Amino acid sequence: MSRMRTPEETKEAMHEVVAEMYDRIVKGEPPTMTLPVRTKNNIGFDKKLGVYKYGKKQSIRDATSLGSAKQLLRALHVVEFIEEMLDAGKSSTLREMYYIAEAWGMGKFGSQNDSNNLAEDLEIVTKCLREDFKLRPEEDGARMIGNLTLRERNRRGEWMRINARDDVGDSGYGVPYNVELEKIELLEHDIDFIMAIETGGMFDRLIENGFDEDYRCGLLHLKGQPARSTRRIMKRMSEEWDLPVVVFLDGDPWSFRIFASIAYGAIKTAHISEYLATPSATYLGITADDILAYDLPSDDLSKKDIEALNAELTDPRFADSWWQEQINMMLELGKKAEQQSLAKYGLDFVTETYLPEKLAELGLA
Amino acid sequence: MAGIAQKLASNQKQVAISEFFEKNKHFLGFDSLARSLITAVKEAVDNALDACEEARILPTIRIQITKLDSKKDIIKLVVEDNGPGIPQKSIEKVFGQLLFGSRFHAIRQSRGQQGIGITGVVMYCQLTTGRTTHVRSKIATEPTAAFVDIGLDTRKNKATKSNAGREIWYNEDGTGKEHGTEVTAQMKAKYQKGRQSVWQYLRMTSIVNPHAEIIFIDPEGEKHHWTRVTERLPTKVESIKPHPHGIELGQLQRMVAESKDLNLNHFLLNNFSGVTNRARKELCQAAELEGTRKIKSVKGDDIRALLEAFQGERLFNASPVKLLKPPTNCLSPIEELLIKKGLSKTIDSRFVTTLTRVPNVTQGNPFQVEVGLIFGGGMPGDKPVEILRFANRVPLMYQQGGCLLTKAIESVDWRQYGLDQAGGKGVPKGPAAILVHLASTNVQFTSEAKEALADNAEVMEEARKAMLEMGRGLRKHLEKKKKMAKTKEKFELINDILPAIAEKSAQILKRPVPELSGSITKIMSAVISESSTEWNKETKQIDVEIVLFNYTTRVRAYTLLATWPEKSGAVMENNDTGGRKEALGVWAWKLESLQPGGKTTISFSLSGLERGDWTETEVLFRGSQDVIGATKMDEKFLEEIRRQEQILTESGIASPEDEAEQDKTITEPTEQKTEVVEEKVEPAVAPPDGQRTLFGGDV
Repeated sequence: MSRMRTPEETKEAMHEVVAEMYDRIVKGEPPTMTLPVRTKNNIGFDKKLGVYKYGKKQSIRDATSLGSAKQLLRALHVVEFIEEMLDAGKSSTLREMYYIAEAWGMGKFGSQNDSNNLAEDLEIVTKCLREDFKLRPEEDGARMIGNLTLRERNRRGEWMRINARDDVGDSGYGVPYNVELEKIELLEHDIDFIMAIETGGMFDRLIENGFDEDYRCGLLHLKGQPARSTRRIMKRMSEEWDLPVVVFLDGDPWSFRIFASIAYGAIKTAHISEYLATPSATYLGITADDILAYDLPSDDLSKKDIEALNAELTDPRFADSWWQEQINMMLELGKKAEQQSLAKYGLDFVTETYLPEKLAELGLA
Repeated sequence: MAGIAQKLASNQKQVAISEFFEKNKHFLGFDSLARSLITAVKEAVDNALDACEEARILPTIRIQITKLDSKKDIIKLVVEDNGPGIPQKSIEKVFGQLLFGSRFHAIRQSRGQQGIGITGVVMYCQLTTGRTTHVRSKIATEPTAAFVDIGLDTRKNKATKSNAGREIWYNEDGTGKEHGTEVTAQMKAKYQKGRQSVWQYLRMTSIVNPHAEIIFIDPEGEKHHWTRVTERLPTKVESIKPHPHGIELGQLQRMVAESKDLNLNHFLLNNFSGVTNRARKELCQAAELEGTRKIKSVKGDDIRALLEAFQGERLFNASPVKLLKPPTNCLSPIEELLIKKGLSKTIDSRFVTTLTRVPNVTQGNPFQVEVGLIFGGGMPGDKPVEILRFANRVPLMYQQGGCLLTKAIESVDWRQYGLDQAGGKGVPKGPAAILVHLASTNVQFTSEAKEALADNAEVMEEARKAMLEMGRGLRKHLEKKKKMAKTKEKFELINDILPAIAEKSAQILKRPVPELSGSITKIMSAVISESSTEWNKETKQIDVEIVLFNYTTRVRAYTLLATWPEKSGAVMENNDTGGRKEALGVWAWKLESLQPGGKTTISFSLSGLERGDWTETEVLFRGSQDVIGATKMDEKFLEEIRRQEQILTESGIASPEDEAEQDKTITEPTEQKTEVVEEKVEPAVAPPDGQRTLFGGDV
């Protein structure tokens, strides 16, 4: 699946979707588009791939309601638009497509979210990637710092060798939206593990304290829910360099979800989980028991937090006993804590005490 | 309860006017600078409307407010009307004398039950600015207008006049004014905007006086224009004699004292409504008084006994004396269609429902409740609805919470009718305005300020019933709107989206565009009715079109029915599809065979109506398969229409002279009376001389 397709292959795959609609009309039936159900009820663990993928549940989007019919029409416009880009050798961002769609009359999108979802729908039914469609995400990738070296092909088509410690400033190496082989090659490294960090504040704290050098690791700033390219490059580094990945997040239900999308695959992108997820990633903290063990300043769980935790209890990705215990413990505590709450014990506490202790548990320090 | 009027009249001489004003300004509507201005406008506009109504003239009233001195809050108010005008020698009386005119004595519905009239404004101006009020008036039979400055001599409590003269009155366009009155007053007052403002008062006045044209120029020079939406003047109201059920001791004593009747028999027959010859006899017997007694000899306990007989406390043959209901032709409701027009012109919206209940009687006083509801448009959806209260066509702008009319609105659970309401109580929220109008010969207020109606079980019940009926109308409208939105979506789907899908997919695959009819039938799989009711500017008619589509695979047959405003005098024209009358205001067409994929169009025009009179046609059907966009005919609904039709024709024949008939029908309310009513007895006539204010309270 991670293989890029030729424009012809992509077109052919898209034509199958169009033909489903066309043939139904010819038969005197409402046109339809068949796609897997994209909820937590339809994801299952794929033993072969080690990640969560969509199950067999299909939903048929048929043109018997105005909303669905408009979705079908939009899909056709998107197909046409992608064909035009493939023919012209151009690409566009999802956001650009959203604005271009303003001219599609009845087929225009209600919101940016609509157009993003539709692009994903098409990926799923055609089994293509949006890179095949020449659609780029707007979201920027992560920042990375550490003694690792890669090669990136720049706008002029020249390969540039970059060391993410020596060749970058304090903000680190910016991960581009496309991290596939034709754009990025991983060359060499001198680190023992990769640490993914949720907040920019914490990422900068670790850099300032020299944590990457002291503990021989690569630091990656996730910027909240990580973009596809962030997850993809983590996956590549973990596989190609055989490096452990630890994930350091806030201690709240949303962080649990971020971890699940990194390690097991996100529900929205379960069709390409094997391509984005890093099954070997480990959740370092903040855990529910850290809140107690380190007596961290905490906030009460909001109603939404509690709903999210309860939803996670029935999410197949959190079905194992460690996660069930963590989630239940957080519900019982009724508390959540931010990464920065460690600063209660001073600015160096995180790098001198907390992380060494947590990493020691994993045998990484 | 005697009004301010009587009390004023009896005590007038004892108190200096300035003192009277100072003590009672909150009753008189001059308690704040903002309210004083509203009261002044109100008195002048009420006078203008009343005068025009009496003279059967369609009123055009122009109000201009100018700030003369912002620091000292000095305002100039000019109110000009096109009324009949006031003869020169009467101007002084109208503007300078308390309680001039007959409206305080006659029992009928009238605007002027509030305040002390325009004289109060003259007083207020004099007291706050020392300025006189300039009046100019012209009657049609004289070539020139009379003008005079009216003031008040506060020591002598007398009107003063100065600078009197005559002149030719020119309109703005240079033509001569035919008739009318213009008042120019200077007062200490504040112009405000918002819910309690001159603007709001005029807006509300315009709603309940759709026959009036009102032009208002505010201090910023902005012109607000409320147009006339009907040429129909309010029905001329007859004044009626008091009804025994509504009489109080003081009033009865006064009537006896002032009577020039020969004896008690004549007194009873000549001075009361609802007293037949039979009732006269029975009343005398119940009161144990000889009917032949000279009226001069009826005193003290006799009067009390008579009152007890009136009120059913003294019995005849072990039951209260049966009286006729008072006539209700003394009431002048605005009527449904005109309220609708009034609301529609001031508030932009799609849905208006109005209702005028039949007149009823409480404590011997005829009354009638009217309600209106306007929904949607640009009104905010998350705020309490706007409440527009009126008593005898006069807007009530203060004390909303304590008013019976507000309580009637609050007592309804509006949630079932599609408005938000916390706990099903209180003022509902939503994009709506609710109008309530009480027309009565004796409007009971909570206080002399006359801004809130006092509790009264019968009026409350009538108002509540009206609200419920109106609520049902709103719910129906909202349900229909929802259904129509769904149908509209389906049509958009098959007319626009589906063809686009077919075309685009064919284009991408480079194949021919496929035929759509099969898919359309599958998507709709229903019979659908679409209707439109539109005003046709050219023909001045309302064009109605109903289209029935058969999007099923079988041939269908239906009877289609549509409502139309037959009651309001509309005439159906150009109905080429024929059909027949089903009931009053319901027309029916039989559609024998509607082919799959086919459609039938019914169209007709309504003449004899004005724009906005008829905006929604209800489409009903008889037949086995459901029709989207139409309601299945409920035969009970037809029965109800036929019943109403019958009542209408019957009531048309009934004559008020038919006493024997009516006598039987009024027994019930008479009996209820004795249990419910417990009236306060007021002290006899005026208190003796002493240090009393004009309102009878201690100094």
